Amino acid sequence: MGEGGQTEMISRRNFLSFGLGLAAGLFFKAPKLLFGAPLPHFFFSQLKYRGGAWDPNPQFAEAVMEELELRTSIDGIKERRVTTLSDPDLFFYPFLYMAGKYEFDPFTPQERETLKRLLSYGGFLLAEDTVGAKGFGFDQAFRREMKQLFHDHELRRLPLDHSVYQSFYLIENIGGRQKVNPYLEGITIDNWTPVIYSQNDLSGAWSRDKFGKWVNECIPGGEIQRSAAFKLGINIIVYSLTSDYKKDVIHHPFIKRRQSS
Amino acid sequence: MNLDQITITPVFPLWLILLLFSLGFASAVIQYRFMLGRLGRPRALGLSLLRLGAISFLIAFALNPSLVAKKEHKVSPAIAILLDTSQSMGQPGRPGKASRLEEAKALLTEGTNPLLKSLNERFEVRLYGVGESMRTIEVKELGDLKTHGMNGNLSETLKDLSGKNTLALLLSDGNLKWNEGQPTNLPIVTVPLGNPGEYKDILIKAVKAPSLAFRGREVMIDATIKSYGYTGLTLPVLLKEGNKLITAKNTHINASPGEVTVSLSFIPDEVGQKNLSISIPQQFGESLVSNNSVNLSVKVVRDKIRILMVSGNPSMNYRFMRTALKSDPSIDLLSFVILRTPSDILNVPTHEQSLIPLPVETLFSKEIKNFDLLIFDNFKYPLYLSPHHLESIREFVRGGGGFAMIGGPNLANEGRYQVSPIGEILPVRFAEKEDYRRDSKAGVRLSRAGVLHPITRLSSDLTGDDADRLHFWREMPPLDGFNLLEAKSSATVLLESSDGIPWPILTVSSYGNGRVLALATDYSWKWYMGMVAKGKGNHAYLRLVDRMVRWLTKDPSMDPVQIALPESAGSIGQEIEVRIKLREEDLSPNLRSMVSFSVFNPDGLKVESRIKPSGQSGEYLGSFLPEKGGIYKLKVATSTGSLEESMVVTGLLESLDAAPNHEQLKKVSASTGGKFLSTSDELLKEIESYARKGESRFIEEKRSSVWARPFVMILVLGFLILEWYFRRRWGLV
Repeated sequence: MGEGGQTEMISRRNFLSFGLGLAAGLFFKAPKLLFGAPLPHFFFSQLKYRGGAWDPNPQFAEAVMEELELRTSIDGIKERRVTTLSDPDLFFYPFLYMAGKYEFDPFTPQERETLKRLLSYGGFLLAEDTVGAKGFGFDQAFRREMKQLFHDHELRRLPLDHSVYQSFYLIENIGGRQKVNPYLEGITIDNWTPVIYSQNDLSGAWSRDKFGKWVNECIPGGEIQRSAAFKLGINIIVYSLTSDYKKDVIHHPFIKRRQSS
Repeated sequence: MNLDQITITPVFPLWLILLLFSLGFASAVIQYRFMLGRLGRPRALGLSLLRLGAISFLIAFALNPSLVAKKEHKVSPAIAILLDTSQSMGQPGRPGKASRLEEAKALLTEGTNPLLKSLNERFEVRLYGVGESMRTIEVKELGDLKTHGMNGNLSETLKDLSGKNTLALLLSDGNLKWNEGQPTNLPIVTVPLGNPGEYKDILIKAVKAPSLAFRGREVMIDATIKSYGYTGLTLPVLLKEGNKLITAKNTHINASPGEVTVSLSFIPDEVGQKNLSISIPQQFGESLVSNNSVNLSVKVVRDKIRILMVSGNPSMNYRFMRTALKSDPSIDLLSFVILRTPSDILNVPTHEQSLIPLPVETLFSKEIKNFDLLIFDNFKYPLYLSPHHLESIREFVRGGGGFAMIGGPNLANEGRYQVSPIGEILPVRFAEKEDYRRDSKAGVRLSRAGVLHPITRLSSDLTGDDADRLHFWREMPPLDGFNLLEAKSSATVLLESSDGIPWPILTVSSYGNGRVLALATDYSWKWYMGMVAKGKGNHAYLRLVDRMVRWLTKDPSMDPVQIALPESAGSIGQEIEVRIKLREEDLSPNLRSMVSFSVFNPDGLKVESRIKPSGQSGEYLGSFLPEKGGIYKLKVATSTGSLEESMVVTGLLESLDAAPNHEQLKKVSASTGGKFLSTSDELLKEIESYARKGESRFIEEKRSSVWARPFVMILVLGFLILEWYFRRRWGLV
């Protein structure tokens, strides 16, 4: 995305937050997800776990969902749903999101069994270490749990031609609040990657307060890095709903051509 | 009686007999010594000799002497006359003879000195007909004898005749099966019939074609053409389906006799049984026309089910349906997802995004015919498709394609499209007031038709019996949104909402030759995850999608019955057995007794057939006896549907090579030690001279035991009485 695109996004957000956003917010409530209510096509379901800090960026969803609505045909809702591994509706959540900074308590055997079944049969998990450095609390705990869940599949760096980098935008730069890794990691089973793991704090880059100001600075790339984080977020969401669709033969020559242009 | 006529067959070992002789002789010597002092030498010697004679005779009994009488006999030669009665003998014989069989009859029975009569006077003659099997013929039957059946097997015939006959006389055109290496002690004198030099015919000798072909892929058929007497001719070889010409190829005949192989190819564009024929036009002077064509049956199946799926937006419904379709290797899926609509704003240049335009013109005007199934998934098609695209889709379905519309909010307010071609083919129409409901969850239940329909019947291991099946669907997680539709009167509702008004959820119908389905929800993926959540795996959802696809594309696996035909074509007079397998879901006890099997001959007449259980669950064996060649139709019907297959039964004259094969007769004669004669030879003289060589004699031997003769007993008694008399006279008794 060039500069122009970034400026456009900021202007729109300013408009939304300081203009109509504030005024309309006094009169209209954002749609709320009620337990047991029908599910929209897309929403974030954030996993609440024991120990550590399960919600490092509580204001991450709104901006990225606005971006999703604006750029794509996906019908989403800005409100996130907080869930646990014992939630009976867990299997009906299209996108499970898990973030943290610190080490968390090990999952119980029952929780592990549930999560493994969910992810083995079509569920999707985006996990984020938001601490901004490698090898600390959340990172260690998450890798430990993934090792427990998938003995035969390791978290591996996703190759540059992975569908997640091509599902909507053709991604070349990995964004985020921090630039810890220039790549995403994931657990791939057959042609589907049910677990994607980022250490760049994407949700930190997406977070915006109720006045429309970014909560965090993106370091070191600034707004370009934030823009890249939004693009990657869109791609991850589209990937979670289309799988390796972009690997179909008909798309391949188009993508190759555009990448080489 | 001569001594050389006496043979001995000892009843004891010789050493024992010699021992007995020695003892007898010793006792006679002792007796002599004992009597020598009392009677003097002459008398003692006389008595001892008498005793020795009696003892010797008695011991000689053990040698069991016999008298052998020999008598020589002459045996009159037995001749087996083998008359070839196979179909080729019905072809014209030498000039003046209607057939080769008539030529043979004339050789045997006509003329001033008929051959058969003359042979009968000199030899022991038996007449046999050699066709598909060998049978004895009475002379009086000869006049009415007709050709029948395939070429006879001479090797098998000889096994029955060897040892009983001195000579075999074979009258044939040489079209017989013969194993040259077979050992036999029966010489065969062959008399050739027919005239190879004058024979003219073109025949399709062999056809090499696959019994199974794939739609859209080239099928190669090799036909071997054999010809006699048409050197230099160029003639067309035609491949037809019924009367419709599929392809043709010219071939040139270079030699007589000569063989040439012609390769014909075509690309089947429809699945199903193709009844084809390969033929060559009749040529002037041809002896046999029935061998100018060959029937063959090729079953055309699809290599893969080709599906075009267009989704209105990225969604769980798309992903899970894609997972199901991609997991089936027999499905070739081409899918497009509308990632952004015209109202969405793109913030990067084209080369930074992966979106491609939906090639509507290519897909819906040109390529649509290459698909088996078209799926619109929550696709707001009026935004993208022109009226002529919709017309094209309607024609695609009318022509036999499948169409599935999966619901969702993008289809809301589409009531105005009810008058469009899509509205015409759909099994449902949109309710007028509210098109998509998302304010409450809706469970589903099977309709009465859904209990039996192949799509929702699934298999018993997933859903159990009928009662369990109803429960299975009620147990499914509720849907979070569905379109409010009304089923058309011609449609069948399989699943309906279970709360309040029973809105149709899954509805099917036919349109033209195609099939149509409407799934009124974009939340069917919850049926997948609902079962996973319960720990029951994803089989039910995968199976449901599989069954929807196969029903829509009329896949043969959805047929209520399967018929397995024999690998090779059937033959006239040989029972044909086919294996019939019922679909697993149709194996309820009530249905088993309702399986019927009918067979129709090439004229469309029903022929006698039988059906019986094979011993395996749901499997039957159907059989019938074809009496003529051509394409037979086999029909199996159950209470849930029927299936028709066709199979080829080879005609008797089809591929018949009736050219006289005198070389074969020469080989038969040479390998059996017989002789190849000509009809112009003096047959009687030749046969007689040959038969006499085999004339045999044998010596009859009669044996009579010497001891069975009275004089021998009298002689023994004489010795004993005479000894007793002289003993008494000389005062020893």
